[in-house]
Amino acid sequence: MEAWIKKTLIVIIILCIISPIGILLTWNYGDAWGEWGQVKIGNKTWMPQHYSGGAPLQDYDVPGWDSQIMASLGYIISAFVGVFMVITVTLGIIKLGEISNELRKRNTEKY
Amino acid sequence: MNLNYLFFKFLIFSVVRIKYLYAIRVTEKIKGDTMHIPDGYLGPATCLFFYVVMIPIWYIAFKIARKKMNEKSVPMLAMLSAFAFIVMMFNWPVPDGTTAHMVGAVLIAILLGPWASVIAISVALLIQAFFFGDGGLTSYAANCFNMGFVMPFVGYYVYRFLLKVIKKDNAWTLGVSGAIGGYVGINTAAFMAGLEFGIQPFIAPGYCPYPFTVSIPAMLLAHMLVAGPVEAVVTGAVLYYLKSHASHLLKLSKLTLRGESHGSMD
Repeated sequence: MEAWIKKTLIVIIILCIISPIGILLTWNYGDAWGEWGQVKIGNKTWMPQHYSGGAPLQDYDVPGWDSQIMASLGYIISAFVGVFMVITVTLGIIKLGEISNELRKRNTEKY
Repeated sequence: MNLNYLFFKFLIFSVVRIKYLYAIRVTEKIKGDTMHIPDGYLGPATCLFFYVVMIPIWYIAFKIARKKMNEKSVPMLAMLSAFAFIVMMFNWPVPDGTTAHMVGAVLIAILLGPWASVIAISVALLIQAFFFGDGGLTSYAANCFNMGFVMPFVGYYVYRFLLKVIKKDNAWTLGVSGAIGGYVGINTAAFMAGLEFGIQPFIAPGYCPYPFTVSIPAMLLAHMLVAGPVEAVVTGAVLYYLKSHASHLLKLSKLTLRGESHGSMD
């Protein structure tokens, strides 16, 4: 492994570990604009429709881990899971490109 | 009654109207910012429209990646999409009681070309939507369009334009151009998201309830004040560091439409 990849990986791991900053700094803040569960306009309540049954780690937390400490732990777990998944999927797409290149080469060699 | 008078009256009317909408906004404690549009906010026509727009974009990005990625840029792309994922988890407080986060798309566009950004951001958003419920599945293509297409391309060309105007190629000019590119890019994306929210009351009743006179200012406030500066500082700092300590990483083959293919995968 080249040195810069190792360095970048270490930076990403450090970012994962300190990621709870992202929820602790904004603990008493509301949802982001357009991410409300429901909105009151005058005396009417509007709720967005849901199409799926929710995600396995909804809102980057293990379901039920609600206190600041547990939510931070859940956030760190989510960060590592997410980073791992993102790297895997990206490399998977690149692999798909390689495979399709191979197939094309083989097809052109036939003729 | 002359034209000037009419114009003046229109101006006052607009200001009063915006103030009125802001009053709703404050009393109902509506929070500012998101780039990750959830399910149920965009109508079916808008969602479908963005899928139709994004499918050819994804296809072109895939084709270019297939042609131009090599053994050096592949790990870089993987690292950068992980980086984009993790920086989006850092929510920063906005003074009005809401939150915002940076994206990192412009940095990816500068390091590996804007089409690499399409892939990296789309992958990060996919994982966020599927595993963490951040951003909807119906609005996934719209989110990809804002953060994974508009943002990197705008930021990248702002950066290129600034470097061309400055005509100097050192760590400071790179850092500053990248920072400005990042700032402009994220705010354009925020504006687009605000626009998509804001046209819903007119075309799809029952979805996002706020018109663009509310959604665009709310989105822009959070991104001009908080997420934009964070994006600018991170993009600029990384470019400055790379230029002065690891300039070979700035010379990886770029995923652009034109130019020679340097890939070994072809």
